[in-house]
Amino acid sequence: MTAEMLRAPAEVKYADELDWLESVDDGPKPFSWRLSPRMVRLFILGSQRSDGSASFRASGGAREKHLRTSFGLDRGVDQKWFGEASLVERAIVTLASDRGLLLIGDPGTGKSWLAELLAAAISRDSTLVVQGTAGTTEDHIKYSWNVSMVIAQGQSRKSMIPSPIMTAMERGMIGRFEELTRSTSDVQDALISILSEKYVSIPELDSDNTVFAQPGFSIIATANSRDRGVNDLSSALKRRFNFVRIPVVTNKRSEADIVRFRTAELLRRHQIELDVPPTLLDILLQSFADLRATAASATSDDEKLESALSTAEQIGVLEDAILHSQFFGERVLGAGALAGSLVGSLARRSPEDLAILNKYWHGVVEPRSKKDGGLWPDFLEGGRQAIATLS
Amino acid sequence: MSPARVNDGPASGLDADRAHGPTKVTTGSNGSTGSTGTDGPFGVLRERLIDAAAAFAADSTALAEIMAGLVDDVGWALREPLEIFPVCHHSPASALAMAGRLREKRPKVIYLELCEDLRPLLAELRNCRLPVALQAFAHDLAGFPAGSGPLSIVAPITEASAEYQAIAYALETPDVELVLVDWSADHLFQWEERVSAEAPASSSPAPRDAPGGGAGDPDPDHGDEAALHGDAVGIEIGDLRPRFAELEEFLLRHGRVRHWSEWWDQYVEQPLAAADHDTYRQAMTLIGSLFRRMTPADDGRRLARDEERERHMWTRIREHLARSGADRSECLYVCGAFHAVSRVPEFGTLADPPRSEPAGEPSGHEIYEIGPVTATRWMYGLIPSSHSAIEAQFGLAGGSVSIARATWAKALTRSGIAPFHLTGGRGAGRPARPAKAGRTGRTGLGGQAGAEGRHGPGAAAEPLAGFLERPPALDGLDEAELLGWSVDIVRLARRNGYLASTADAIAVFETSILLAGLRNRARPTPYDFQDAAITCIEKDGVPGRRDVRRLCEILLGGDRIGQVGYDALPPLAQDVYNRLAPLGLDLDKRTVQRALLDLAAAPELAECSHLLWMLRYLLPDGAIRPILGVWRLGERSPQESWDLVIGRHQRALIELGYEAVTIEQAVEQRLRRAAWAPTATAAVALAAVEDAIVYLDSRRLAEELGARAVELLTAERTVDDAPEVLRRIRRLLDHYRVNEPSLPAWSEQFVKGGYAHYCTLLPTAFTAEDVGVRQVASMLGFLLTLENLALALGCDRAQLELAVRQSHPEEPGRVALLWSAQTRLGQLSMAELRTRCDDLLANPLTVPAFPRYLAGLVQALEPVPTLTPFAVEMISKAFARLPDPVLLPWLPTLVTTLRDQAGELVPTLVREAGRTFPGSLADLDIWVAPWSGRPASTMPPVDPAAPPVGPAAAGRTGPGGARVGMAGSTSTADSAAKDAVAALLAGYPAGTQAVAALLGFAEEWAGPRTSRTGDLVPAGSAESGQWPNWSDSRGSGVVRLLADHPATADAVHNLIAPPVSAPLVRPTDLR
Repeated sequence: MTAEMLRAPAEVKYADELDWLESVDDGPKPFSWRLSPRMVRLFILGSQRSDGSASFRASGGAREKHLRTSFGLDRGVDQKWFGEASLVERAIVTLASDRGLLLIGDPGTGKSWLAELLAAAISRDSTLVVQGTAGTTEDHIKYSWNVSMVIAQGQSRKSMIPSPIMTAMERGMIGRFEELTRSTSDVQDALISILSEKYVSIPELDSDNTVFAQPGFSIIATANSRDRGVNDLSSALKRRFNFVRIPVVTNKRSEADIVRFRTAELLRRHQIELDVPPTLLDILLQSFADLRATAASATSDDEKLESALSTAEQIGVLEDAILHSQFFGERVLGAGALAGSLVGSLARRSPEDLAILNKYWHGVVEPRSKKDGGLWPDFLEGGRQAIATLS
Repeated sequence: MSPARVNDGPASGLDADRAHGPTKVTTGSNGSTGSTGTDGPFGVLRERLIDAAAAFAADSTALAEIMAGLVDDVGWALREPLEIFPVCHHSPASALAMAGRLREKRPKVIYLELCEDLRPLLAELRNCRLPVALQAFAHDLAGFPAGSGPLSIVAPITEASAEYQAIAYALETPDVELVLVDWSADHLFQWEERVSAEAPASSSPAPRDAPGGGAGDPDPDHGDEAALHGDAVGIEIGDLRPRFAELEEFLLRHGRVRHWSEWWDQYVEQPLAAADHDTYRQAMTLIGSLFRRMTPADDGRRLARDEERERHMWTRIREHLARSGADRSECLYVCGAFHAVSRVPEFGTLADPPRSEPAGEPSGHEIYEIGPVTATRWMYGLIPSSHSAIEAQFGLAGGSVSIARATWAKALTRSGIAPFHLTGGRGAGRPARPAKAGRTGRTGLGGQAGAEGRHGPGAAAEPLAGFLERPPALDGLDEAELLGWSVDIVRLARRNGYLASTADAIAVFETSILLAGLRNRARPTPYDFQDAAITCIEKDGVPGRRDVRRLCEILLGGDRIGQVGYDALPPLAQDVYNRLAPLGLDLDKRTVQRALLDLAAAPELAECSHLLWMLRYLLPDGAIRPILGVWRLGERSPQESWDLVIGRHQRALIELGYEAVTIEQAVEQRLRRAAWAPTATAAVALAAVEDAIVYLDSRRLAEELGARAVELLTAERTVDDAPEVLRRIRRLLDHYRVNEPSLPAWSEQFVKGGYAHYCTLLPTAFTAEDVGVRQVASMLGFLLTLENLALALGCDRAQLELAVRQSHPEEPGRVALLWSAQTRLGQLSMAELRTRCDDLLANPLTVPAFPRYLAGLVQALEPVPTLTPFAVEMISKAFARLPDPVLLPWLPTLVTTLRDQAGELVPTLVREAGRTFPGSLADLDIWVAPWSGRPASTMPPVDPAAPPVGPAAAGRTGPGGARVGMAGSTSTADSAAKDAVAALLAGYPAGTQAVAALLGFAEEWAGPRTSRTGDLVPAGSAESGQWPNWSDSRGSGVVRLLADHPATADAVHNLIAPPVSAPLVRPTDLR
């Protein structure tokens, strides 16, 4: 089934694992949850050390033993979301409580991925999603009508098209609302009654005109902290959500993990046989760390890159470089291609971004390539060419 | 089985360890204790651990060795007849167990792992509000490399600590002796010194913990409090933390906790809180042993340091036992759990007799000699500490010490154990709640186990095995407490601007329980509660100053800041408090106190003001700040306003107390230290002289410092400080001239020495590239403006003249400086100077460099103020004649150079320019530059003997050269010129009238008359002595005519008048 999808949702992709976890789960499950909170945690954070250090990976036997003793399990669970465990715990607990969950953070910090994983683990369906845009209307949150059926048969439950949120209510599942702050205030406020009364009335119908939420219903919304000003949440809505702020990953080790994890997935998806040398990964992480430091010390917007420099952006840069090398290069990922891709992805405004990159390249990369050598000289050259092309 | 180690450890320790393993002790001792191997006291436990090792480890032998070693260690420590009480720092469980044990055992002697030289301080704890830190401080170093000071260590003491319990018990109970046995501060730094000498590239010394490992982010909100300890090295009793980063990480991950403090609280603190003494002791020893054995191999240096300390401690204990003859069973040795399982040869009191006989020891280890202390003079005192300072210093998570204190208070009420606290003094040891009187023992299990404990290790084996087998008896849900927290946090959040409501309280309550459940706990810990509160209350922004995390910390105890009571302060600090009492401020407050001193209305406050100025000099920035008022040499404000934050800077004041007995003495020492510092310069010494006069009014010290300044000046080879030296010596000379009958000898010496010194350096300075124009100008300023004094003191002017002749600068700015100096010395006439400058302007090749000449000329105003009109002239000419490509880039440079380097010269220049240029727009039309059209030949030569003329004396000037040529002051030159003109016109009215008629003016001229001031004024002018208004409609034509054709007027003048000494003064010149 997964083979036919470009990108399978988490519950499909990890169906085996979820089935197995459900079979061994003996913890108490709130409402209609498919897994107990502890298993949800285990599913998302995995059963082994995040750094995969040698001490517990040394031998297969020891590792298996370790996993068994730690979790009473007979197979390992891979970590799927990288970040602070307490954030995940807080998110899970929020969903078990009366309130909705709002994941807030910079673009590319893994909010949507976490929301998808949570929904997949709890209700085995992460596709009940409303995408918040400026054009989102209340119909997208509640229900709309199949006009031809209404003309033919009149208004009835049959001719009504429930929104993903309403479907989640009816089935006692987790509904998702992406980019909550992108939709307008009146649309946002439609959520208030859903979150407090937990039902939706359908005044057009004379009977059977209330849809009550089944136990287990909750909403995971995501909001981009950079757009907070676009349509700020009303305080009434804020009150009904617990906010969990997902920070930009600045820990180099976790970041390396994430990039490695996502890249491996990507390579698999594109069926590409390409090796990403660890030194190259280091260069990528280092340059992002440098650019973040630059952005942090900038005093005006003109002095920092427009990009949020998130982990997702790094993955994007790497993906771009890999694809470029695969289809146009020598099928070997080189530092030059990486530099080109980095410049290409980050230079969004001309001349501001280009000027910053130029400064970075000559002020930081050049000395470093002289000092450290390795792949840095190639990286330097590739970046220079890319900047020259764009300038 | 000999103890096994994960690492090899230091080579010195290992063999000795093996030699004195459990087997050795059993055979060598009195034999009352158990045996070795699996039959030993912890046989059951050992078996189970080894089984576990076999079951879980791939390579079971190594693990089994460690496991068995752990059990051995516990047996080893417990077999020691001198009771070892293992503790962990800031652990309420340790404190509670300690209080219980002390009540039960009532030891006569307590040995404490704390710097032995801090003992006298402990009694002063009575006068303090905890937390405070014991401090040893040294700045006069002997035996340590120069520059490594000041050395400082702090040992913070909190109420919820085992060491405080032991101290309070020992000090409050008669006939109990408290012996501190750890390294003295001196030993500690000796070791650090040795280590850093061996490995200069190594990282910082171990105890100077870097905050971070496991600790939360540094909290900006804590800023001040967290810095309470300054940069002292922290020492603490019972540092217990895995030294193996991977081990700690593993424990944290599987304990589902975020940082070490939380893990400790969860897995050791809480289970042990209710444990009886034996269980506590064995469990703590086991943990100490575990961490000791899991020391990473690259941490050998740290282990070596610990072992060295252990040898020291045991040697001290033995010495004390031998000296006092105390009964070992009545003693208690309080040390960190890590040290309880030490295997150093000195460990224990059992093997004492054989060790004193060398023949009995085949391994032949010698008796440990405690090294001598250096001659460094150590000072001791108490400084205020705070929970956040302790957390920051020892890398604990934010809020953990506060939470420990809250736990302690709760544990006290629950257990009913009466804690010990020091009585007397202020705010000392306020226990959370006094327990019921008479309940000195432990209840239930505790009492029973205590009885067992006395039966020896065989019986004592049970508690540990049982304890480890049982799941921790965690507290059930304390609903009332959690509810209280939930309600309180919402209340607190609302007060801090959050939109929190009762619904949030419910959500926090529910979420706490859910979170605890997710983390395998029945009872939410404070950390779970904190997480829950953040989840439910924190939205997308922080409305106030504090976020929810910080609010939780405040709710759960908050930061406490200790205070050192008046009686425990050093004499200097007490003196400061006494002398500032008239201000009527509460100096203990940590907020800013504003003091207003009206010295005219309340002269008695002058004493306070004096003290405040001295404190401002001594204390770090921010402690004392003058808002209004200055006190400098020759300048004192009648009113002053001060911001005092002494309460917050108590540490600085106390550390000042280590330096001296009174503030005056401290100031004197600081001044001396500044002047005799290796980096001191003459300018620094002169500044010290000024301060000595201002703050101490001490002639003797000023002379001493002045002599030092002379010494420094003559030894100096650079002239970087010349501007500063000039400014300060001028000010000092002014002060002495006003206040003293004669100049002090040193100042004369200084001027004489300086004259010779700067004369010598002048030719080099003129050409040296690293010396700025400003420095050379200041040297010249010294030489030329202090010349009179120097000559009077016997200096020879020829020296200066020669020095100037020897100078051959090339850089334009310096060339201009040299020309100015030559002009001043009479080696160059004003006319020549002007010609040279004009030539520069006329030559297109030199024009681009002209601004640099001008820069030098402006700098020359300092040594040769008489050049001011000339400088104005040259700047005007530059503006007029320089081509735009040269002029425009130069203008900003001119402004910045003037502001940075010659700020004090600008007013002079501006005033001069104001005199030269017309005052109104209308005047501008008819204005002619005084220097334009002046024949150079009329410039009289410069009189070298002319005294320098101050700019203030310069009146309405004629063309630059004319005034300088006059003998006497400029005003006399002016009036002489006026008189000459007036006399001329009055003497020959016909000529004037004829010229007027020629020009078409028919009016009769009435001739001059005398004004009230006696000056001759032409008719038509007002009585005030003003000249007629030349710019009115009638006169303007004449004026313009005369101005446009000066040659005609001169010719007429020559034709009709006998020559006069003054040149003709044109109307524009008189304006």
